Amino acid sequence: MTSKSTPLVDIRGLEKKFDLSGNFLEQLSFEGGRLHRKQEAVHAINGVDLQIQKGEALCIVGESGCGKSTIARTVMGLLTPTAGEIYYEGRRIDQLRGKELLPYRRKMQMIFQNPYASLNPRMTIRQTLEEPIRFHHPDWSRMAIDNKIQEVMTSVGIDADWGGRFGHEFSGGQRQRIAIARALAVDPEFIVADEPISALDVSIQAQVLNLLVDAQKTRNLTYLFITHDLAVVEHFGTRVAVMYLGRVCELANTKTLFSTPRHPYTQALLSAIPRLEDDRPSHIRLQGEVPTPVELPSGCVFHSRCPYANDRCRQEIPKLIVTDDGTQVACHAVEEGRL
Amino acid sequence: MALLEVKDLDVRFAVRGGDLKALRGISFSLDRGERLGLVGESGAGKSVAAFSILNLIARPGYIAGGEILLEGKNLAAMSERELRKIRGNRIAMIFQDPMMTLNPVLSIGTQMVEALKAHRRISTRAAREIALTKLRKVQLPSPEKRLDQYPHELSGGMRQRVIIAIALLLEPEIIIADEPTTALDVTIQAEIMALLLELCEQDNVALMLISHDLGVVSQVTQRMLVMYSGRIIEQGPTREIINDAQHPYTQGLIKALPQMGEPGARLFQIPGSMPSLNNVPSGCPFHPRCEFATDQCRQAMPGYVRSGNVDVACYEVSNLIEQERLIRIQEQDS
Repeated sequence: MTSKSTPLVDIRGLEKKFDLSGNFLEQLSFEGGRLHRKQEAVHAINGVDLQIQKGEALCIVGESGCGKSTIARTVMGLLTPTAGEIYYEGRRIDQLRGKELLPYRRKMQMIFQNPYASLNPRMTIRQTLEEPIRFHHPDWSRMAIDNKIQEVMTSVGIDADWGGRFGHEFSGGQRQRIAIARALAVDPEFIVADEPISALDVSIQAQVLNLLVDAQKTRNLTYLFITHDLAVVEHFGTRVAVMYLGRVCELANTKTLFSTPRHPYTQALLSAIPRLEDDRPSHIRLQGEVPTPVELPSGCVFHSRCPYANDRCRQEIPKLIVTDDGTQVACHAVEEGRL
Repeated sequence: MALLEVKDLDVRFAVRGGDLKALRGISFSLDRGERLGLVGESGAGKSVAAFSILNLIARPGYIAGGEILLEGKNLAAMSERELRKIRGNRIAMIFQDPMMTLNPVLSIGTQMVEALKAHRRISTRAAREIALTKLRKVQLPSPEKRLDQYPHELSGGMRQRVIIAIALLLEPEIIIADEPTTALDVTIQAEIMALLLELCEQDNVALMLISHDLGVVSQVTQRMLVMYSGRIIEQGPTREIINDAQHPYTQGLIKALPQMGEPGARLFQIPGSMPSLNNVPSGCPFHPRCEFATDQCRQAMPGYVRSGNVDVACYEVSNLIEQERLIRIQEQDS
């Protein structure tokens, strides 16, 4: 991989908080005869740096509440970051507004988890696919638009004659294909897929995953792929970022991550995948559950469940360090050679 | 005698324009302490099968035929009163979404005491004591405190532990778990599954695990059923099916798993999708998606043939077995 060249997407020091405490008056409370002002926020992303290279499929994995979907939405500009910067081909895009953002909206497309919610029920498939094309290419002729619609529908395996049908006339797998077709219709370079196959059945998952692999090859796409399913990552991803409570705890090539996971959380996560093999590997049992992102633990976010945690882990936030095989790990135990 | 035996169960849903056949001639049995997996994609009829065992099918659904024998007594023919003595008491159920199962306006303790009192003549204090021991058994942290807490105060994993504790309250002989970990994260799922397995082994409780996840079923169960479009298409020892599936659908399901494919390469895919109930194809329901389908498959539903210890409903498999038999006879003759 040419890591020296400018990454396609560069995320630097990204932070996102969601305010919970409402307006100024709602923040006030009366305690012990005095007026207090209390502000609470969900710390969804707490300083994430990620570089996505052209042509790769970067997967983000983690459990619910780790901030993986928030990253997807922030990169797409659906949410504004609290702090940090996002660059696309070297140009900062997180502050752009309106017209300036338009070319990037075309280059970056998103596929959502639930194809039952992401397609407008009152639009036919043709209208659904036509809208983005018309929006980004107002000068195209009727013919050109029709050709494009036909091309994307065929490429995702939906009969082009079905354009007059509505979303509800299709099965879940077909709807997700249509959602993918909508993303492909404007010839994007970069696709953010947020759990695109989680809502689908096993046999349909394989169909959609194959479609994404094919599209990557034929259209030269770059993916940011969000999922909780590690088996999918192993199959699909070029590199993997493992997230926990809004921080990246390990970033590695897929092969390296699955053969030699370094971070204790990654190890636990990998051991928890239900495999078909006979010899049942004893999974690493983690203590307790994920702490709430409202009150972040001090030090390493994982220390409350980590079997290797010591005093340093409880106080100091570990930084991502690069190990011999190129893997980046944020763990004091790995850094000190305890693990 | 098997603890639970289901024979030729037919379940239908009466809708405008005729009955939808949700289950068509389902037969299986469950022994004491056995762990049985029920696998299939959405719409295969897994949950209907689970619900109909306790006759929990709501209108317009009804049991159209067949028997559900619990130690010889037919649950399908029992009155609501008799059934109530069995539900929760001898057969307990665990559902997918713990938030839907627990009553949000009652404390955990109240709900547990209520269940105990419904089946036994017991004082509230004694019932609370039993509830507490069960909460300890499912390794819920600080169980005394939890009795007075409400479901929303617990995390998803803790709620599912409470559900398991409630299922264990009356020491049932069978637990039917319908996708018990689907709503949970992987690390929590692994813990809950390990706990359920441990508890069933400890008390010799039979477990019927319904799941779409072949990985979970292969790790937990001893025998499994594969369902497709309201039919059991393959059943037998879990290991044997996972290692050497006979039915083309089961083979496809296993091959389609991302963990079975070469990284970066295309996955095996079964074309099309499961037929809906109002449009079930003639003959074998899988034939429109099957690469081996012949005219025979399109015309009539295949019966079961035995291959090893596995029962399969597939003409392709039965033809292969027949061919092998003929070859053996020829070899013996010559």
